[in-house]
Amino acid sequence: MSTIAETVPQRPTRRRMRVDGWRWAGRIFLVFMLLYTALPMIWMLITSIKSGFAAMQFPPQWWPDEPTLASYQKLLDPQNSVGQDFLRFFWNSLYVSTVTTILSVIVAVPAAYAFSRFRFPGRNFLFFTVLLRNMFPAVIFLVPLFILMRAIGLVNTHGSLILTYLTFGLPLAIWLLKGFYDNIPVQLEQAARIDGATRFQAFILIVMPLSTPGIIATAIYSFIGAWNEYIYAYTFLSKNEQLTLPVGIQRFFSENTTDFPGLMAASFMMSVPVVVLFLLLQRYFVRALTEGAVKH
Amino acid sequence: MAHVVLRDLVKTYGGFKAVNDVSLTVNDGEFVALVGPSGCGKTTTLNLVAGLIPVTSGDIVIGDRVVNDLDPKDRDIAMVFQNYALYPQKSVYKNLAFPLQMRKLPRDEIDRKVKEAARVLDMTHLLERKPRELSGGQQQRVALGRALVRDPAVFLMDEPLSNLDAKLRVQMRSEIKRFHQDLKATIIYVTHDQLEAVTMADKMAVMNGGYLLQYDSPAQVFAHPVNMFVASFIGSPAMSLVPLEASTANGNTVLTGAEGWSLELSPLNARKVASATSRKVVLGARHSTIRLHKSAVPGSVPAKAYTVEPTGDVTFVQALLSGAIVNISVSPNISVAPDEQIWLEFDQERLHLFDGETELALKAG
Repeated sequence: MSTIAETVPQRPTRRRMRVDGWRWAGRIFLVFMLLYTALPMIWMLITSIKSGFAAMQFPPQWWPDEPTLASYQKLLDPQNSVGQDFLRFFWNSLYVSTVTTILSVIVAVPAAYAFSRFRFPGRNFLFFTVLLRNMFPAVIFLVPLFILMRAIGLVNTHGSLILTYLTFGLPLAIWLLKGFYDNIPVQLEQAARIDGATRFQAFILIVMPLSTPGIIATAIYSFIGAWNEYIYAYTFLSKNEQLTLPVGIQRFFSENTTDFPGLMAASFMMSVPVVVLFLLLQRYFVRALTEGAVKH
Repeated sequence: MAHVVLRDLVKTYGGFKAVNDVSLTVNDGEFVALVGPSGCGKTTTLNLVAGLIPVTSGDIVIGDRVVNDLDPKDRDIAMVFQNYALYPQKSVYKNLAFPLQMRKLPRDEIDRKVKEAARVLDMTHLLERKPRELSGGQQQRVALGRALVRDPAVFLMDEPLSNLDAKLRVQMRSEIKRFHQDLKATIIYVTHDQLEAVTMADKMAVMNGGYLLQYDSPAQVFAHPVNMFVASFIGSPAMSLVPLEASTANGNTVLTGAEGWSLELSPLNARKVASATSRKVVLGARHSTIRLHKSAVPGSVPAKAYTVEPTGDVTFVQALLSGAIVNISVSPNISVAPDEQIWLEFDQERLHLFDGETELALKAG
């Protein structure tokens, strides 16, 4: 009896220590990942409130001696040429991203619904070709698309970007939404149709409201993709007044000497819409991505 | 309310015939159960009546209209689904109101009808809840309510009780039966559970492989199954089917088992066997029509006990006879041990005989 009593408590202790070791390794890893992702952003913020001189100092000022919002004022001042350009780029980006988002929802919703509900000839083939685009790096299509855009006279228009972003964003949008519709029991529509709805009414009144999280996720995805895109915007647009933010910022600040606080302030403001959008709608986004993972 | 007629109904998917020349008439106010194993075509048949899938050929008549080409919404039907199909984003009240709103009824009339349905189904206190906040039985009741609120010509029910636990299922079974009696509603009810069909329906349509095998009252189907499939599907425990060899000796017809014993048939049963296409005959007997003896008595045949299952009220003995398993129910105070030698006596009046080749029930010629 006594030997058992002595040996039994030892085991759990050893076990707990081993588990704790892993847990600590995990925590350290997470802290490292947090610093890795957050530090550049923090540094961006800190630099944006420095003076141009302070930004270039070495060793760096970890916290600016004289924090200033001058860069932000300059960027948001419509009187000043820098501000005019920045605001125009911002507007261009907003325009391109919003139109892309609206169009991709308009196309993706019925497409995803059709892929989910209807059995038509070539359905699997079409769905596969939709995904096929995503198997190649976007750069591969840069030159062919440029030639195509030139042929149809879309170079130097925002339409060229909207069209390109749509072709790149739609596959995943359709795929994401299809998963959503797959999870909505078909009996709900059948019930609605028996209850007096047409097929279209059943979709609008019953299915659409249920797929709102998926539609929102699709919209965020399209918006962020279009908002951040650089290489196509850089290639398709050359007129200064048409540039979108990612291209505009880069061109604008590297012409003379690089104004690092200005660049960082612009970068910060560029990330604001995306972050705000994501924070507001993230619960829908998470729901969309995990939909169907668990029974509910 | 209205009657429903299915005339030579066929539904094919590519080369696969899901529903094969099904014809039946559901009279006004009748409760008809479509029953059969999964994949037998019963749900497809119901969906055809509902208009959720198009018919390949044949006619569906509801009331006096051929509804083949009508949308589900124009067929004046209501349907209860296995998963209830309640609109998850709507409250119970709005779920019940939806079919009325779609028919553009005035708001006060909708309100009156919804409240009336809620009162009938005893769920007035649940009206503001969302479906996910209800128990399975309550969801099921809302689904019934949504069907009832419209006062349709026909109710279609697709395994409405399958998602409930055993106890609730028995309770809801009697509620639906009561619902039918009170409303004099025409109901077509799909189930794979023969017990539901037998207990609730006025008539049952037994289906298998897309074919309608038998359409009659549960008592008739139970007493006179048309073939071996129906015989073994209806009734629990299943009817025992024993393959035997028929022969005639000294003017008497006897059935011989694989073990070499023979059973002399009554004149009526002998006439039935005479109509068989071959000497292969299958003897069918329900558990309650077989008597178990511990010693040989005249007219009994020897068998070996296989398993013994006491259930309290009655003990089920499974015995091996001519290579088949035979179910016998005995009083719990009779003790039988596995592998024990027993003798079985069949009630000749309630015996079923099937043709070993065609599997059809044999009739006296």
